[in-house]
This record gives sequence, structure tokens and C-alpha cells, in this order.
Amino acid sequence: MSSGGLHPVLRIALLVGVLAFYPLLFGGTLNFGFSLVLFAALATSWDLVGGWAGQLSLGHAAFIGLGAYASTLLWTRLGLPVWWGVPVAMAAGAVLASAWGWITFRLRGAYFALSTIAVAEVLRIVANNWADLTGGPEGISIVSLPSPFGLDLFGRTVQFYLALGLLAVALLVSWRVGASRFGAWLEAIREDEDSSMALGVNPARMKVLAFVLSGVLTVAGGALYAVHLSFFEPQGVFDLHLSVQLVLMAIVGGMGTVFGPTLGAFVLLGFQEAFRSTFQQASLFIYGVIIVLMVRYAPDGLTGRLQTAWRRVRDGRRALDAVP
Amino acid sequence: MTTASRMSRTGLPLLALAALAALLSAPTARAAPAGKPLQIGVITSLSGSFATFGGMEVAGYKVAVAEVNARGGVLGRPVELLIEDDASNQNAALAAAEKLVAGGVPLVLGAFASSITKPLAGYLTREKVPLLNSNSADVAITRPGSPWVFRVGQTTDSFADACFDLIRSLQGLKTVAILVSNDALGKSTANSVKEKVKALGYALVAEQAYDRGLTDFRPTLNAFKAAGPEIVALSSYEEDASTILRQAKEVNLSPRMFISVGATGYAIPQFITGAGDAAEYVLSASPWRPEGKYAGAKELYERLKAQLGSEPSHHAAKAYAGMIAAADAIRRAGSTDREAVRKALEGTKLQTAFGPVSFESFAGYRNQNPAPSLVIQVQDRKFVVVWPRNAASGAVRFPTPPWDKR
Amino acid sequence: MTVVTLLQTAAGGILTGGVYALVGIGLSLIFGVMRIVNFSHGEFMAVGMYTAFVLFRHLGLDPYGSLLVVIPAGTALGVAVERVLLAPIARAPEHTAILMTVGVGLILSNSLLFLFGAHPQTLLASYSTATVRLGPITLSFPLLVSFGLTVLVITALYLLLTRTDLGRAIRATAQNRDAAELQGVDTAWIRTAVFAIGTVLAMAAGVLLLPLLYVFPTVGSTFTLKAFVVTVLGGMGNVVGAIFGGLLLGLVESLGASFGATNYRDAIGLVAFLLVLLVRPAGLFGRSRV
Repeated sequence: MSSGGLHPVLRIALLVGVLAFYPLLFGGTLNFGFSLVLFAALATSWDLVGGWAGQLSLGHAAFIGLGAYASTLLWTRLGLPVWWGVPVAMAAGAVLASAWGWITFRLRGAYFALSTIAVAEVLRIVANNWADLTGGPEGISIVSLPSPFGLDLFGRTVQFYLALGLLAVALLVSWRVGASRFGAWLEAIREDEDSSMALGVNPARMKVLAFVLSGVLTVAGGALYAVHLSFFEPQGVFDLHLSVQLVLMAIVGGMGTVFGPTLGAFVLLGFQEAFRSTFQQASLFIYGVIIVLMVRYAPDGLTGRLQTAWRRVRDGRRALDAVP
Repeated sequence: MTTASRMSRTGLPLLALAALAALLSAPTARAAPAGKPLQIGVITSLSGSFATFGGMEVAGYKVAVAEVNARGGVLGRPVELLIEDDASNQNAALAAAEKLVAGGVPLVLGAFASSITKPLAGYLTREKVPLLNSNSADVAITRPGSPWVFRVGQTTDSFADACFDLIRSLQGLKTVAILVSNDALGKSTANSVKEKVKALGYALVAEQAYDRGLTDFRPTLNAFKAAGPEIVALSSYEEDASTILRQAKEVNLSPRMFISVGATGYAIPQFITGAGDAAEYVLSASPWRPEGKYAGAKELYERLKAQLGSEPSHHAAKAYAGMIAAADAIRRAGSTDREAVRKALEGTKLQTAFGPVSFESFAGYRNQNPAPSLVIQVQDRKFVVVWPRNAASGAVRFPTPPWDKR
Repeated sequence: MTVVTLLQTAAGGILTGGVYALVGIGLSLIFGVMRIVNFSHGEFMAVGMYTAFVLFRHLGLDPYGSLLVVIPAGTALGVAVERVLLAPIARAPEHTAILMTVGVGLILSNSLLFLFGAHPQTLLASYSTATVRLGPITLSFPLLVSFGLTVLVITALYLLLTRTDLGRAIRATAQNRDAAELQGVDTAWIRTAVFAIGTVLAMAAGVLLLPLLYVFPTVGSTFTLKAFVVTVLGGMGNVVGAIFGGLLLGLVESLGASFGATNYRDAIGLVAFLLVLLVRPAGLFGRSRV
């Protein structure tokens, strides 16, 4: 993190504080506002394993789907209210991430990415075919929800603040990882896995831990997503495209930074909503172009560019000061 | 000047002017409606994977709006479509819906895909805005549905009714094999067929549901061949219709009838161009054909074709019917108040070029249009309506000759 | 199930598997030499399918004739993509290339969507429903022809790799890039050549599959996954292994379907794929080797 300026926690608080005014100022576009904040949270969670641990997961939708199905089924089948259902789902997510991570910890780079696609696809197929449990391809409709403290969980404002809460947590976790020894180890692994082992780091364990953190947060996001849509199906929540979107947001904003994925989410979703009305056909195409341009010219993403620009300005000013 | 003469001097010209003014301002029978446009919300797929069908829907809506406006609009105002693109994805659809609701539309028409319509239905029910759907196939949309959700398009039960009425009329058929896609429509079709089989005392000799992406049906078709069904009931992903028949020809699976109860890819022109001679004799349920009996069907087809610039599918006709019903409901409600429009929709009783439109509650369905379906058959590379008899444009060709004898 | 049906199913599976192998070989080659996992491989195949489709619809050119068009077109496309987008990031970390190819894939599939619409299209040639009898077994004629041409293409590739200077240079670069450089091989140009070859192979596979299938803009993603399975089974970078990987995949799919497990067939395939990744990441057929 760059030195100087506000302490990161204060920056997070500032961002969250500003966003908290969204429903008051833009009450007519809360569906859009919700997706902005939720995807920012999901992208930040993805980045824990993608940017910080350097393992490219193209199957994170597996966690989204797990969160959606687990929390919803616990409520519709067992009557377990969501404030118990979500933690249970998160625990399930931790188990999945541990098993999955432990099994694939040896795989590097492309092999790991492939395995993530395969896992998400297997879960989709199971959800699609195990109709007795999941309702199969018809999906699940959420017709009613409990009202904790009298809050209407279907209400857009309530959902927005829940998503904002998740974003705050994700940002804090991201900061904490970055500022800690754990983060330093992850960086060592990312730079050169073999050498890091010489330092006494156990790359496998570290990567699994990052994966578990990431998975647990994503599961919570998935549960919230399900409530927002009030209907979902295997194809929608285990979708490869969904996984790719998260990756994109992190790349565009800047992987391995606290605010990068959030910035990426805001930029991409903002463009998508603007394009929806004007460039209808071209939005996905433009996604592709953005990735290609970003990877080619701005591999550090927008935050990277912003930081470079900021540094240049700062150094420029210092140079001026230095002139006698 | 006397009063009388003053009157004659100013009165007559005034009278003449008044008469002229009255003549000029009198609404003629076909005058363009004046006043602030009445905006009706539409959500459909203008981009993304459902874009082709979204285009069909828009064509249907536009043809209906032109017709309504030519007859004086609604409540004296011209109807205007407020079309939003759902980009074939749920989040965009919800954002679009929020925009329309905030914009004050009396009701929303759409969407195309069931996976998008269902979240919309949940959201609009909560916002208390009527949703009028034409083309989504999933049973769950109107069963159980909600007081705010209405559907014009037929359900798989309606398709199965039509198909099995035809089968019964042919007599002597007893054994059925089912091949369906592993999605909501396929599952729904399989259930409808199985209910019929049970009710009529037929025998189900084979059943298979397959996942999207399967390209080799030969093993399944061979297994069916071994089971020897007289009827093979189908409902597949659109892209597989041609492939399945071609491979059936290859493995020489020759039941006495291939019938697509789920409509889908077997009821569209691409099936004939894609399967070629393998498409002959294949029957399919169909929501609508221009050759059908409803007054104005052929003319509707022409108008849709002109609007779309290419061959319209039944989706366009259903969308047309939906918009006509919407306009009719607002007219009967006498206002754009959403609750009033909802109540008016419940009382809909129309006869359109698509067919009858009303919204009934029956057999667990709510606000579902119980319009009957047609059964069509590919004969000489063309679709012919073969059932019901009073709507038929040709006789059914039965039994289907085995492949090696054609 | 009778023996005849079993044989028929197995035969069909092997024939289809041959075409899968063709898709996988390109991917394997690219990985072996460039160490890049080309996530847009399936999209190049889709481009090949649409090329054949367009030529058939508008020029009446037989799809198999399109193979001749695809060779120069694929080379041009592959060279362009490699030079402009991949060469500059050749020394960047692995994930950069993965992301780049994902982006390229999105551009390709959405360009196709824009140009052709989302509707699945089939191509009906005069021989599309023709069959051939080999004793008691009936086989699809187009499938046989596609398999035959696949064998031809793979043989040509094999000869290229073993008998020509270019082939030797490719194998040297695959084994050890720096050593090859020291020996005077222009590895940058080799990488371009290999990507071009891989693109041509993918597009050729598309042409050969079109008469058997239907095409729609996102058909590529299914085949990218199949290509991965094939290459992992055969060993990333092992071209010969990819052949066996393809045949195995085709066989497993066919037989799996006929034993009734259709619904979970894909899942079983993927789980097997995961197992292979775990237990023998170098593939069933050994180390990376071109």
C-alpha cells in the first residue's frame, strides 16, 4: 500500500460511509446499486485468492451457487432462518474450499484454473440433476422470508445495506491480509513459489487458507444474491460467465489491492448499465476488448495506473521543491 | 342597427364559423389519437443469447401498438412502448424493471426467458405492478403464480392435451418413449406426457433426459429402438431438433410417430432446413400457425413478417396478443391505476388473430390463458396444421413409414 | 444391449473422438511450446465452423472444401493474434496469458454473435444423412469422412514435426527455450508459427464438425473444455498423447451414454478429469513432450 494519506481503515470507512447515502440519493435505482455493491464485495473476495495468493480461480461461481442453494434450501426445507442458514452455508463453503484447495494445492497456474472450471461445472451438473434436493433445472423460488427485527428482507434498501456490510467486511479482510505477515508470505509465494519454500513457508497451507477466506465471503454473497433475485437456477448461479466477471473486475481495478476490485466492479457495471441502453449488442464484446487492452497495457489495473500517476505528480512536485 | 340585423350581420358568419370549427374538430372514426402518449413498459432480450426471440417479441408488440393506435389508441391517447433490454441476464432485467416502475407505467410486458421472467415476477408482485408474459415456458410462472402475473402463452399441459387428442383419434397406439432436454421445459413436458400416459392407460417403455451440449444421441436412440415404442415424444433444446432426427434416421429408429410435445425446435422453419428429408412426417405441438383457423391469422402473419423483415415465429404472435390484451385491459379499467388494470386483466375475454385470450384459474394455475394448442406436421417440406380437425389445413399422414422404406 | 449395438456405439465414439483429438492437439501444441493455456481455443474452432457455414451458404462450397480456405485464413488470424497480443506478454507471469486468451475468446464469440445472431444454425449437405454399412454396423457417412480427414491432418502435422527443420525447431523450443535460442533458433518466430498452426488445427476441427453438428456463437466454450480434457488426459504438450486422449474421451462419452448415465455423464467426465489432474498431472501418457 502506498505510504502517506489516510490510514486504510479510515479509507474503507470513508468509502462505506459515502456509499451509505446511495439509497437516499438514488432510491429509484436500488437494484443497480445493490448489484454494484454486491459484485464489489464478490470481486474483493475473489481477489484474496486471485490477486493476493496469485491463484487464478475461474470457478468462483461454485461458491456463489453453494451460498445460494445452501442458505435457501435450509430455509425452504428445514425452516432454518437465514441468520442461521447463512453461517451454516459459510461453514459448508469453508469445507468445500479446504477440500478443494487441499486437493489442488499442488497444481499451478493453468492447471489450477482448469480445475476450478471443472469444480464449478460439476456442482452445476449435480444441482441440475439432483432434482429431489435442488429442484433441478427449474430452480428455486423464494416466496417468503423471515423478518429479523421486523426488517423486510425482500426490501431493496435492506438488501443494499446488507451488501454494503459484506463489502465492508471484505475490504477489511483484504486490508488485514495485505498488512499482515500472512500477506507477506502470500506475496513471496506469488513471486516465486519454489524460493518461498526455502524461507520456510508452506505454500500449500497458505494458499488453502486464502482460498477458505475467499470462499467463505463469496458464499455469503451468494446467499444474498439469491434473496435479491428471489429465484435462481443452476445455470444462473454456477455460471462460468459469472466467474469470469469477478476476475475481470479485479483485473480492471487492480489485483492485489484493497480497493482495486471495488473500482473495477463499479466501472464495469456502470459501463454495462450505460451500454444496456445505448450499445446493447456490443457490451460483452466491449468486455473482451477491455480485458485485452487492460492486460496488454495496464496489467496493474486502474489502481495501478492511478497510483503511477499519483506518484508521478508527487515526485514532480518534490522535484520542483528540490530545485534551488 | 336593429338587433335582428346585428344578429344577421354577426350571427350568421359566427354560426358558419362555429359550424366549420365543429366540423374540423370532430373526431373522425380513424383519426390519430391526441394527448399525452400512454407508455406501456416492455422488458425483453434485445441483446445476448435470447436476442433473436426478443426481436420476435418486439415485432409482435409493435404490430399490436400500430393496430391499437389506428383504432384511436387507449383512453384517447396514443400508446407508446417503453422498451428496455434485459441483455439476456437477470440483473439487467431487475434494473430495467425498477426503471419502468419508477417511470409510472401501468403494467409491464415480458420477458422472453423463464429464468428472467421469474425474478421479474417476484419483484413486480412485490411492487404491485401487473406483469403480462407471452412467451416464457416454465409452468411455475402461473402455477402457483401470483395475482399480479398473467400469461398469454400456452403451457405444456395444453400441448399434451392437443397431442394426445390427436393420438387417441388415430387409435391403436399404446407404447410411448420420451426424450427430453434436461431443463425446465423438458421436465415440464415429460411430466405432462406421463400424466397423459397414465390417464389413458398407455405404457411408457423408455425415458431419457439429456444435458445441453450432448451431440451424440445414437446410444439413446439405439436403446429406444430396442424398446420398440410406437410413439416417440420429444422436447429438446432448439439446436438439437435436426440432429436428433438425422441420427434417428441413421440408426433406423422407426416408431409409428415422432411427436414433439414440447414444441421448441420442431415447430420452427429451421427444423425443416436443418433436418431435410429427416423432418418429414414429424409432428409437433404448436402455439400458433398462420394457416390456423382464427380470423385474421394470415393477415397477422403478413404484418409480423413486414415488421420483422423475416420469417416470424409463434413468439411474435403471442407477443401481439399480449399487447392487445394489455390495451384492452387499460381501456376497461378506464385508468392507468395498476390495481384497476390488474382487476381488468382478470376479466379479459378476447378473440384475437392469435386465438382466444382470457386469464383463468384452474388445475393449480392462476391467471393462465387456457387457449388450445395446434398440432402440425411436416409434409413435403412444409408445416401443415393437422389438429384440431376444424382448424386443420390438411390431413395427418399416419403412420410414419420406416426410414429404409422412404 | 446387443453386441452389434455395442460395436456401433463404440465405433461412433472412436470416430467422434478422432475429431476431439484434433481440437486437443492444437491446444497441446500451443501449451508445449508457448506454455500458454489458450482459453480461446474453442472460439477459434467456432470461427472455423462459421467460415465453412458462410462459404456453404453463399458460395455453395462443400464444407470439406473449406478446409483449403481455413489453412491460409487460420494462419493469418493466428499470426495476427500472436504478434499483436501474445508476443508482448511472452515474459509476463502465467496468469497474464490466461487472462489475455479469455479476453480474446470473448471478443471472438461476441463478434460472431453480432455477425450471425444467437440462433443455432445447421448445414444440410446432400450427404448429411447418408450412412455407410460396414458389415452389421451402420455408421454416419460425414462422421467417417471427418475422421478420415482428421487422420490426414494429424499425419501431416506429425510429418511436419518430425521431418522438417521447422518441426525440429519447434520441438527444440518446446524442450528448452533458452537452449534453443543458443542454438540459433528464432524462438519468437517459432512461437508465432506454433500459435498459427494451433489456430489452423482448431479451425479445421470446426470445419470437420460442422456437418455433424450445429453452430452458434458460444459453441466454442463447450469445446474449449473438451479440448482441455483431451490435453490433460494425454499430457499437456504431448501431441501423441492428445490423440489417445481424444479417442478415450469419445469412447467414454458414447459408452457412458448408452449405459444410461447420461445425466451425470459430463460430471463423471469432469471428475475423471480432476482425478487425472491430481494423480497424474502430466497426463496418462507421461511427461510433456512434443
